[in-house]
Amino acid sequence: MSHEAALHNHEGHDNHGHDDHGHHEHHDTFLTKYVFSQDHKMIAKQFLITGMVWAVLGGLMSVLFRLQLGYPDANFPWLESILGKWAKGGQITPAAYYALVTTHGTVLVFFVLTAGLSGTFANFLIPLQIGARDMASPFLNMLSYWFFFTASIVMMSSLFVETGPFSGGWTAYPPLSALHDASPGSKTGMDLWIISMALFVVSSLLGGLNYIATILNMRTKGMSMTRLPLTIWALFFTAVLGVLSFPVLLSGLILLIFDRNFGTSFYLSDIYVNGVGALSNEGGSAILFQHLFWFLGHPEVYIILLPAMGMVSEIISVNSRKPIFGYMAMLGSLFSIAILAFLVWAHHMFVTGLNPFLGSVFVLLTLLIAVPSAIKVFNWLTTLWRGNIRFTPGMLFAIGFVSLFISGGLTGIWLGNAALDIYLHDSYFVVAHFHIVMGVASMFGMFAGVYHWFPKMYGRYLNNSLGYIHFWVTIAGAYLIFWPMHYQGLAGMPRRYFDFSIWESFKQFADLNRFISTVAMIVFATQILFLINFFYSIFKGRKVTVLNPWESNTLEWTTPIRPGHGNWPGEIPEVHRWPYDYGKDGQDFIPQTTPVGEDEKDTH
Amino acid sequence: MSTTTTASPNEAKLWVGGKSPFNSEYGKVMMWYFLMSDAFTFGAFLISYGTVRFSTNGWPNSNEVFRSFPFAPEGVHAPLVFVSIMTFILIISSVTMVLAVHAGKNMDKQGVVRNMIWTIIGGIAFLSCQAWEWNHLFHEGAWWGANPFLNADGTASTTNFTNFFFTITGFHGFHVFSGVVINIIMLIMTLLNKFEQRGHYLMIEKAGLYWHFVDLVWVFVFTIFYLL
Amino acid sequence: MSHTHTDQEAHNKEAMAEIKKVTIILSVFTIIELILGFWMISLTSQALILAIKGTIVILMMAKAFYIVAYFMHLKHEVKNLIMTIVVPLSLFVWFIGAFLWDGSSFRNLRNNYNPYFKEQATIKVEKKVEEHGAAKHEATDAKHETKHESVETKHEPTKPEVEPYY
Repeated sequence: MSHEAALHNHEGHDNHGHDDHGHHEHHDTFLTKYVFSQDHKMIAKQFLITGMVWAVLGGLMSVLFRLQLGYPDANFPWLESILGKWAKGGQITPAAYYALVTTHGTVLVFFVLTAGLSGTFANFLIPLQIGARDMASPFLNMLSYWFFFTASIVMMSSLFVETGPFSGGWTAYPPLSALHDASPGSKTGMDLWIISMALFVVSSLLGGLNYIATILNMRTKGMSMTRLPLTIWALFFTAVLGVLSFPVLLSGLILLIFDRNFGTSFYLSDIYVNGVGALSNEGGSAILFQHLFWFLGHPEVYIILLPAMGMVSEIISVNSRKPIFGYMAMLGSLFSIAILAFLVWAHHMFVTGLNPFLGSVFVLLTLLIAVPSAIKVFNWLTTLWRGNIRFTPGMLFAIGFVSLFISGGLTGIWLGNAALDIYLHDSYFVVAHFHIVMGVASMFGMFAGVYHWFPKMYGRYLNNSLGYIHFWVTIAGAYLIFWPMHYQGLAGMPRRYFDFSIWESFKQFADLNRFISTVAMIVFATQILFLINFFYSIFKGRKVTVLNPWESNTLEWTTPIRPGHGNWPGEIPEVHRWPYDYGKDGQDFIPQTTPVGEDEKDTH
Repeated sequence: MSTTTTASPNEAKLWVGGKSPFNSEYGKVMMWYFLMSDAFTFGAFLISYGTVRFSTNGWPNSNEVFRSFPFAPEGVHAPLVFVSIMTFILIISSVTMVLAVHAGKNMDKQGVVRNMIWTIIGGIAFLSCQAWEWNHLFHEGAWWGANPFLNADGTASTTNFTNFFFTITGFHGFHVFSGVVINIIMLIMTLLNKFEQRGHYLMIEKAGLYWHFVDLVWVFVFTIFYLL
Repeated sequence: MSHTHTDQEAHNKEAMAEIKKVTIILSVFTIIELILGFWMISLTSQALILAIKGTIVILMMAKAFYIVAYFMHLKHEVKNLIMTIVVPLSLFVWFIGAFLWDGSSFRNLRNNYNPYFKEQATIKVEKKVEEHGAAKHEATDAKHETKHESVETKHEPTKPEVEPYY
């Protein structure tokens, strides 16, 4: 009985929430509106802009170490003025190189492509597209951002400690990460790295629980699960992946803390480490950490990729003026990707001494992922097929995502085979593979989302011409940077090396390395162009004058141009159909709020 | 979910939006999925323990290690007895928690208060037992990175037995401690008539879920460390 | 849901009976586990010990089921909620399987290629006396010292040719 009462209250909040919120609006101070905001739209923007700051820093780091790889013999005095002792005489030191590579990886994977991507769009789109006033718990949502912010600050501070940030690779394998004396970065830098990651896990947990509860519980009337836009489904599975896999990383890190500071030997055994000496530890297993890490690490790849997939599905459908091809197949493939994501982690560990027979099971499971991935690719292509395509910048980035996902996905089939992986492991082939399929592709998904939903976020448009320049330079650059790396990797060039010019076998790649580095700088400069476009357009961009500029079916375009806290001024609209009724019955588009006509057949 | 279209009309209606498909308010849904997440944290710990144990040749015999009892004279060995008492304490406190939730459903404030007090006492008793056991093991020379016990077959043991024991029971103890704190807050809120005013005791139900989870984890920790 | 008074009472009775039943089941299972545990102490047959451990694991799962289903009330929830809990939990099957599989594989590797590791498993040692007492914990320096000693003595027998699994 009491139970019923609570449920009733909760619904009441839904229907009459507007009155409360409208009332609140007048009392908003700067602090509650822009800083400790509980409005999901503001939190989304906070995630986005923090993510952008990190993307610039992480990108800059990659430019710096590409400078070393492209011009190993040159001196750049200005490097010393920004990096100090880390670039004595204008050349980056090996220790600094590893620190840069490690921080670049950690920051891009966790802060930009996890928090910046799913944090932004889950917060922004979930309530708007399912028809809710806000997240299930706006307070926890706010906490989620501030935990992320604290994690960022801790990570940032590790850049400034005397011994430098952690430098053992973003995977933080022991013994490098477990022994203080293994490298300068393994001292304070690693402690800060672990603290930062632990805070990040809390942030993603708070966020993820909120997204799941919101999608399940807060949908508006008529919004059944099969009427959800694919963005929401993708964000739903992303949240599930995060909630189930991040805690495993947390456990792994807790054990690592004990190994570092309390004399345990979970990951350490009686090995000899250069610079440290013979360890007195016994019985630990470094492979255990790799298992724990990749149990998170592999789902993490899909945490990065799925939101991009969802947004691309939506954007491609809207801008092709066609219903998404195979909605249920898209759902099914998202679901099977989410399940498989948990079953394949050890394919990152084929050369660690993993049991070969166990490895072959992982090969089988890994190759299974090709099936749902291919289904998704074919569905995107079929949606585009004979569509009435509008090449907005958002659409271009969405198509770019599909292109990159195919190019990068195909090499994944190579690497998923244990026999091939033994040759290709830790080479530039791997670098090329994961940068294209996970890094750049998800970045493209993020750009597509920003271009597409910018009008909803800020009530203004981004500049189109700058958008086109941004797209073409970035896609050309992405291929020019990473395509040659496949050949380098096939020739055996290992990743994580500081200087290839001293190796007879890799001297032939000196010109190619310089070419890659040059393109990387051009692409980075183009991203600055995007940032200028972004911040200029927030204040001075062309104003949005119509409610639904993309003529889209989904609910977010039924809100006012600049929606307040609570999203809809009146009642939340009721939903009567799925979101992909484009070009149906001679109508260009039929919004979800349009009731189903008498002679219309409703499939969803 | 394709099941919604094929399910019985009643169930299908749950998913059409505008209400919770699980007939639960969002806090309970979030609590359930938080517990799932926490299950993976504990799972990862216990599976790591298993992995290390499987990759080691010998392992200490738990009956040799955990055989003391408070106030028992020196030389008296009572394997399993003390931990059985701890286990029963936690089971009983779980039962009183169920009774508190049940009383909450009937809007029976007195029942909630009485049973919450018993649950809190149970939690504190469990923590005290654990503190005694930790202290005892510490004085035997066991700690993180120190293992005075030999393997069951008399060979030298690595420190991983104690490493995992203190880490995992410590993490569980931390959960019990936070559970006790949550329960005390719930008790205070009940005494202040917060739930009477709201018209429901759903918060007690959510705290209960957490408390049972702690009990559930102990079932696994107890079995894995003390019996297997 | 407008329960009449008697409805409510009947419902209460039912719920209390359920709580009582589950409490008894949990206690009985725990007692059986303990009996098995005691019995195991005196056993030497590895096969029998393994069988008992298997039984204990089954009892543990059964206890977990009763706690989740009745105390946490999951059995009385909507079927879909149950599914969203049970389906992700099934990931544990491969989680446990793969980890333990690779764990035992790592032991085989070390026994095959690390003579020191294998040797350690055959040398019986006396219970170390100096490890007793709390003095050992006081300073990390002290710990380091004892560690260094053990490193040196440890590496004597076979260490020279041991650089096995790398």
